[in-house]
Amino acid sequence: MGDCIDGVTRQFWDQTVNGLTTGSIYAMIALGYTMVYGVLQLINFAHSEVFMVSTVVALHALKEWFGVTAALHGATLIVVFLGVLLASALASGVTALTIERFAYRPLRRRGAPRLSFLISAIGASLAIQYLFSLMDGRHYLLFYRLPNLMGPSPRQVPRFVESERLFTIFGTPVTNKHLLVVGVSLVMLFLLDRFVNRTRIGRGIRAVAQDPEAASMMGVNIDRVVVTTFFIGGVMAGAAGLLFVVYLNAAANWPIGFLPGIKAFSAAVLGGIGNIRGAMLGGVLLGLAEKHGGACFGTQWETAISFVVLVLVLMFRPSGLLGEQVRS
Amino acid sequence: MAESGQRPRRRRRPWIRWQRRAAEVRLAGVNRVRALLRRAFAPARAAQAGAGRWIEPRRRWVLPILAVVGLAFAAVLPLLDQWFELPGWMLRATSGASLAKVGLFALFALGLNVVVGFAGLLDLGYVAFWAIGSYTAAFLTGAATYAQEVRRSDEIIPEPQWQMWMWLILLAALVVAVFAGALLGSPTLRLRGDYLAIVTLGFGEIVRVTANNLASVTGGPRGISNIPHPAIDLGVVDLEWKTFLDDKYYWLLLVLVVFWIVAITRLDRSRIGRAWVAIREDEVAAAAMGVPVVRMKIAAFVIGASTAGVGGVVYAEQINSIAPGTFIILQSILILAMVVIGGMGSIPGAILGAALVVLLPEIFREFASYRFLVFGLALVLLMIFRPQGLLPSKRRKAELKGAVVEEQLFDAGGGEPA
Repeated sequence: MGDCIDGVTRQFWDQTVNGLTTGSIYAMIALGYTMVYGVLQLINFAHSEVFMVSTVVALHALKEWFGVTAALHGATLIVVFLGVLLASALASGVTALTIERFAYRPLRRRGAPRLSFLISAIGASLAIQYLFSLMDGRHYLLFYRLPNLMGPSPRQVPRFVESERLFTIFGTPVTNKHLLVVGVSLVMLFLLDRFVNRTRIGRGIRAVAQDPEAASMMGVNIDRVVVTTFFIGGVMAGAAGLLFVVYLNAAANWPIGFLPGIKAFSAAVLGGIGNIRGAMLGGVLLGLAEKHGGACFGTQWETAISFVVLVLVLMFRPSGLLGEQVRS
Repeated sequence: MAESGQRPRRRRRPWIRWQRRAAEVRLAGVNRVRALLRRAFAPARAAQAGAGRWIEPRRRWVLPILAVVGLAFAAVLPLLDQWFELPGWMLRATSGASLAKVGLFALFALGLNVVVGFAGLLDLGYVAFWAIGSYTAAFLTGAATYAQEVRRSDEIIPEPQWQMWMWLILLAALVVAVFAGALLGSPTLRLRGDYLAIVTLGFGEIVRVTANNLASVTGGPRGISNIPHPAIDLGVVDLEWKTFLDDKYYWLLLVLVVFWIVAITRLDRSRIGRAWVAIREDEVAAAAMGVPVVRMKIAAFVIGASTAGVGGVVYAEQINSIAPGTFIILQSILILAMVVIGGMGSIPGAILGAALVVLLPEIFREFASYRFLVFGLALVLLMIFRPQGLLPSKRRKAELKGAVVEEQLFDAGGGEPA
């Protein structure tokens, strides 16, 4: 107990900065879960793979297309960053659409039971993961040689954003990476919020979330709304994937999606699943809880903390902090 | 009020309440739900009636004979290579080790089938109970303390020789897994289906992370080794399992699987089994009819957990060493794939699914790295084209057909918000 309090107080600001940054990445992934849930009342288990695809594509684009090996500065950095962001967001969006088209839509047409959707999602997740595990240039799929996505040295991650200390908060250095991650996610979240609340299709999304039948009678094209929702969720996860690569310098690989995915899901539940602002809040809170919890119990327990949060929220307040989206 | 007079008496003798309630459930509850179901699925049933039963009721004696022949065939499988010249792929498929793996996973699939197939609860943390069974075996055989002593002292310590205890350890692991299942189940089973799936997933990870991190107790990532092989000595029967390749492991698992098949079939046809059907089809209606929903769900969960616990003991004693790296989410998903491929709620299906999922990569070894891709695609395709699985149970098939009949206009979840 003493260790715990000591650890938390000693690393308080370090872990707060850390947690806010990680949390904003979780928030962006959580949006995909929460929006799909809002529209379809369905947990998109394959969403973690959408995220995974974006990290892989982001690294591939960095290494193979832009040929980045060292840190970049100034205008080149911005151009490359935006280019990679576009690539990874598009890749994730397309993955999400593929999942919707092949794993969910046939079941939706048939009015299949809920369990079928979950199993189909798990199957899609497994298939995507292992499809990417085969992409090392040595495997074939129906006589077609799969490309080697990760290049000759998959473990190597170019540090294309140089970490620079900008200022300190109570002795904790805040780097440009922290600001980049938080800034990009804030911009994306703001745009999404405006999109859902201000545009025509956003209104359609909200209408379907409230009552699909009535929305359809009012002329909302349900399929288009569903496709848009999946695509937006994918784009957000795609941006999160690039930020993840930039922030952690992690080597992207096929099993990488699982943990961020399930943590983001916990975040969505924590904020109230189906509630977009709830997912943002939940992501940040979960990031903070995880990092401070890690300081308390030791970093090896970080993973367990998010699961414990999930179980506790579901047991004591299943509607989450901001409440589940009401559906009549 | 009228109720207040009854309450103290009820409290004093709860078993009377339970019996009365059981009678109510049996008479008023499940039968009425089933009648409702029958009416709802009448078109599907009518279509099915033409197909007829595959065995006439008068020829019921065929079934036991088939069972005996099948069992005898299964029992001699590992001996085939001594009697015949077998091609390489068949040699691999009928080796003692891969058959034992089939047996082990058949046991797991049977257990998960109770949870997913019978009660309709998606459990993605099933591997946790396997881990609990295996670690129980490691502790009770003395392998865990042995590992700690070896670490502490430089002298050579005799390995644990607790082989005779396996049979008690099986029971102990069963009890431990039952408690773990009840512990996890009682708070979480009130959640609706998709939440349950993700909470069980989290539970599976918590167990693995704990085993990984509590190095002083569980040996950390390296796990526990030197778990002794079992032995049995009853005077007349004197058996000793020597290596993990021993064919006797397969026979041991075969005995367990047969025992489990009998037990689970009996359960499925009992009042509990009917309660599971009612819950799976419509939880609200079942509760309204007096089915003790949460208790029945916990029962399903606990039976599944105990199966995995028993399998975990056999696994630990066969492989001799266990490590947290074995008990990953992927194992839960593979077991789920077995249940789904075979047909949810179908006992022969669970066996077939286990055999396919274990043996196909053994047979097509050159394509082994594609197996998870194939299994993933198989899950998606099965859900689209054949949700009842390869060997569906009759009841389940009728239900899934019913879902088509009651087609809904826009609803994606396939039902009203639970």
